Amino acid sequence: MKKMKKSIFSNSEFVVFLGLLGIGVFFSVTSPVFLTSFNLLNILLQSSIQGIIAIGMTFVILTGGIDLSVGSVVALSGVLMALMLHAHIPVFLVIIITLLYGLAVGLFSGFSITKIKMAPFIVTLAVMAMARGLTMVLSDGKTIFSFPASFDYFGSGKIGPVSVAVIIFLLYAVIADILLRHTVLGRNIYAVGSNIKAAALSGIKTDWILNFVYIVSGISCVIAGIILTGRLDAAMPTAATGYELDAIAAVIIGGASLSGGKGTIIGTIIGVLMIGVINNGMNLLNVPPFWQSFIKGAVIFIAVMIDSLKNTKKEG
Amino acid sequence: MENNVILELKGITKEFPGVRALNSVSLTLHRGEVLGLVGENGAGKSTLMKIIGGVYRPTEGEIYLDGKRVDFRSPEDSLSAGISIVYQELNLIPHLTVAENVYVNRLPRKKGFVEWNKLFRDTEMLLRENGMGEINPKDIVSELPIGYKQSVEIAKALSYNSRILLLDEPTSSLTGPEIENLFSIIRKLKAKGISIIYISHHLDEIFKICDRVHILRDGNTVDIMPIQEATEEILVSKMVGRDIKNIYFKEEHPIGEVVLEAKGVQDDLLKGVDLKLKKSEVLGIYGLLGSGRTELLKAIFGARASHIEELRYKGKSIKIKRPIDAIKLGIIYSSEDRKGENLFFGNPIWKNITYIAIQIGQFVKSGFVKHKEELNKAQLYFEKLNVRAPSMDMDVYNLSGGNQQKVCLAKALINDPEIILMDEPTRGIDVGAKSEIYRLISELAKSGKSIVFVSSELPEVIGCSDRVYSMSEGRITHEFIGNDINEENILKYCLQKEMTEEVKIS
Repeated sequence: MKKMKKSIFSNSEFVVFLGLLGIGVFFSVTSPVFLTSFNLLNILLQSSIQGIIAIGMTFVILTGGIDLSVGSVVALSGVLMALMLHAHIPVFLVIIITLLYGLAVGLFSGFSITKIKMAPFIVTLAVMAMARGLTMVLSDGKTIFSFPASFDYFGSGKIGPVSVAVIIFLLYAVIADILLRHTVLGRNIYAVGSNIKAAALSGIKTDWILNFVYIVSGISCVIAGIILTGRLDAAMPTAATGYELDAIAAVIIGGASLSGGKGTIIGTIIGVLMIGVINNGMNLLNVPPFWQSFIKGAVIFIAVMIDSLKNTKKEG
Repeated sequence: MENNVILELKGITKEFPGVRALNSVSLTLHRGEVLGLVGENGAGKSTLMKIIGGVYRPTEGEIYLDGKRVDFRSPEDSLSAGISIVYQELNLIPHLTVAENVYVNRLPRKKGFVEWNKLFRDTEMLLRENGMGEINPKDIVSELPIGYKQSVEIAKALSYNSRILLLDEPTSSLTGPEIENLFSIIRKLKAKGISIIYISHHLDEIFKICDRVHILRDGNTVDIMPIQEATEEILVSKMVGRDIKNIYFKEEHPIGEVVLEAKGVQDDLLKGVDLKLKKSEVLGIYGLLGSGRTELLKAIFGARASHIEELRYKGKSIKIKRPIDAIKLGIIYSSEDRKGENLFFGNPIWKNITYIAIQIGQFVKSGFVKHKEELNKAQLYFEKLNVRAPSMDMDVYNLSGGNQQKVCLAKALINDPEIILMDEPTRGIDVGAKSEIYRLISELAKSGKSIVFVSSELPEVIGCSDRVYSMSEGRITHEFIGNDINEENILKYCLQKEMTEEVKIS
């Protein structure tokens, strides 16, 4: 038999991982605080919300789609939960109802794409605006404060030194990774992204798969929303603005292809950590915020450029 | 004769890392000659063509044009020396006019503005001179029939004042009358003294249009002969390197009762088709692109929104709403469009082979794929179909057409289906691989499977089928059984329709 064991990283992931290490080494040298366990745990905590959203985004991008609505869907979930909690609805019920809301949003996007044949970009752009609008309407544009401790636990609780949020993130990543790599459902998601016509003729219910990935994205947003709201003990109508771009960037840095069929959870997590490390390191080095945005953009550009150049070389 | 030579290649060798694609190949092309270049996939035809076209530089050997040594460093060099290549895939810009496509990147200009009148005039003249006068230079390319698109591509090649034209599989997407039209253009070019190298898998075309034929195998010249001395059998045996007396394969075996019966298959393309398929039978469907043959198979397979009055399988009335229903019943469809509808490019061979199998739960336990069992099963079919690849981890994209087709069939057969709907399984693959597929079809039928074999190549339909339907314009036009299955009969039936089509074109 040939070698059955493969390294956990595929080639392109390995390159990004090296990049992550390189950036880590740079910050370790330039900042005395960077390489402390406190700071590293902090990076993980800050990355957990982005990470959960990016995992959902990975599912969508694997099918060749895109979900621009994630930031707004997170914000709306926060306001929904805040209103329900203030109406004294039990925490577990609030979470279940909000998860159903995430499912409904995903189904709405999925249905528009599969049945009405609308382009994912446009559908989710519209959902993005609608969700943000509803967030403003429901909150009257004001931040809603102060929730029961049992709710805030998901965002600010700790088990030992590790935040509950980080544990949720890692657990979610493991489940997503197993689903994508080892189940028929996961295979079918890759198949749809790789060649949707061939997938349909292979007996895959492609509409079902597309609905599923948008539902995963919607539910991921709700999980991220629970953590974000709990962590701040507040639901802000402007929360999570621009998160869709960071999530997409993380997925692409992690080696996924926007045309679908290529990408992994491990890659996405490396991408999320890379963005997290850069944000953290630049704060430690007191880089002015306007420059931070520029540098982050440049890093995303370079990461995707390297991958792109590698691919053209392969084809040429 | 000697001074009539326009192009001469001497001892051309081309090496790629690890592979010797051409081994000291010498080729001569005379003025006003059509030279057929034949060989299996991988024989070196494309490499040779790319060397003449300046895409590759030979590792060893010399090229002489009009007796003078030349060295093409780029496609531009070759083009300016008067050599044009028309590739198999058309490279036209769909939403531009014919004229713009012909003179793309050389539009006549005055003070920076395009001289439209001159452009259309020049194009019209070029088209008329080369027997394509019926094409309007102002037509938008995407609205032209495929045969005309091919002509525009040739006109584009000629617009460089080319004296040598290389045609790579020019008929791969053309219908009968369109091929005839292409041939009359080629004859006209020949009369004007233009030399043509004609690459094709279709040997009947080689016999019709070529003066001489140059046969390649594994990067070597096997033989060069005047067409009068060649027969199909000789060419095939030289190309394949072994005697293939009869590349078709049909073993006599008992044929059973009807297993599948579709009545009144109807949609926007199909006009109420009835189809019967018997156990252990190879049912050939002969029809051209657009005749409804692909649509018929897809309708039965549940991949088209068609209305079927009645579908009976093994004596029971059934409904197939989507492909998975058919797959569960043991009915499988294998698409002709390997890249577009059948394979997952960018994925390894083993994954491609098992995609259908995991849908019905082969080597799956509560939703999880049992990878080791999966690989074993894939390996089994990989070997059974004799896929030639160094390993199953190879991306299907990198396989030759014939091997891709074998992967398609492995994918279809892994569930051991009762009924296999094969849509043009031999399209664009070499003779050796074709012969293997014919043998496979015969073996499947003998072992009790029922096969629908769709093809636009009459000889293989005749050579492999127990019964034949001819199809055109969404209808089954005739059924041929037993001794009726011969070329004359079937052509006679289809001619009527083709003639009306020809009138439409000219």
